[in-house]
Amino acid sequence: MWTTTGLQLKRDRRGVSNIIVVVLSLVIIIAITSNVILWSYQMNQLDWERMREDMKIRNVTHVNATRSFWSVVHSEYAANIGSLIGGTYEDTQVANDGTWETFQEEAKAPRYILDANGTFIIDVSAYPVRSISTVEIQLRYRASDAGELWYLKAFNWTANGFNDSGFNYTAGHKPTKGWDEYAVNLTDQWRSYVQDEGRMLVKFCDEGNDAVKTRVDIDFLGVRVVTSGTQFTFRNEGASTAHLVSLWINNSTSHQHYDINIIVNSAETLNYTRADISLPSGQYIVRIVTDRGNSAVYLGS
Amino acid sequence: MRRVLWDRRGITPVLSNILLMAIAVAGMSIAITATYVITTNLRETMGERFIIEDVWFKDGEIAMYLRNTGKMPIKVAAVYVNHTAQSFTSLQLDVDSHGWLSVAYSWISDSSYQIRVVTSRGTQIVDYYRSPA
Repeated sequence: MWTTTGLQLKRDRRGVSNIIVVVLSLVIIIAITSNVILWSYQMNQLDWERMREDMKIRNVTHVNATRSFWSVVHSEYAANIGSLIGGTYEDTQVANDGTWETFQEEAKAPRYILDANGTFIIDVSAYPVRSISTVEIQLRYRASDAGELWYLKAFNWTANGFNDSGFNYTAGHKPTKGWDEYAVNLTDQWRSYVQDEGRMLVKFCDEGNDAVKTRVDIDFLGVRVVTSGTQFTFRNEGASTAHLVSLWINNSTSHQHYDINIIVNSAETLNYTRADISLPSGQYIVRIVTDRGNSAVYLGS
Repeated sequence: MRRVLWDRRGITPVLSNILLMAIAVAGMSIAITATYVITTNLRETMGERFIIEDVWFKDGEIAMYLRNTGKMPIKVAAVYVNHTAQSFTSLQLDVDSHGWLSVAYSWISDSSYQIRVVTSRGTQIVDYYRSPA
């Protein structure tokens, strides 16, 4: 077969030109197909997906301070100075449950001191960083000595060290030898103490060396976030997942644009809170835009 | 070798075949190049999508916020307000990017304006917008 074809080609060399024309024609056809037809298919799909999107803004409202559930430690505290003498970290997860973890000051010649810290994770998927207005830390403890102050500090990721700079209260707490509660608020400086993924380190420590070897029972130590600002309720009534990329707050004098990055599944209703957005007085329009180019508006006042 | 040099009768068909092949290759090369250029332009034009997110009537100007939602970078080539070309700030948008396009225009309050934005490849968006009262 191949021999016969070869002989024919040798006899009729004009066939080579025909083959060249045919092969290159195929190349042209492939180029047209890939460049135009497939691209057209892709763009048609894009348009079709856009047509299927149906986002709605159900509600826009100002929300006052809303507090999350408490985040507690899920691993043992690190006793930097002092020692753990009873209980476990699990005993500090619930307040007033009759169990606690006990630490004791370490003998540091010639006096006594305690310094321990734990790792806390804030659920930033439920409370996005942009919706948080501040963070609170609460401690329930009992100290055997009422002669020295106790402090709550957090690791400042900007300053790269534990401190209480920017806390609403930094003077420490004086125990009563009974069960005491001590809470601090990180004010608007909270961002220095919380990593993007929600991790923060909290330390409790005494004011320094003293003459009494104190024992401290920790019944509860937790952190929680306070959200406030403007809450938007989005509803995806389309058949495909929507990716919201732009948020507008417009009134007669101002058009304020915010970049957002929110995924709303089909048939999902999503509450989105932003601490940095305040609604204008009077009538306003809220508009959201998806990455496919659809928008939804809400008229509020 | 001596036979080939001696017998010159075979040269004509060889030359004609080579010439035919050269013409075929040259012709198809031109055709392929033309196809590539034309289809690339077509593809770029087909891949253009953009939207006007917001129109803001400011003092002496109309500001529009454009978003490129297509698969090709775009460049705004012309803006028409009520069918009249207007001067505007240059704007090029990569895929998924967005930005303000300012058009110098003395608008009148509580009036409707037809605004048309045209890209360098000819894609256009046209819509009506009402100025604030």
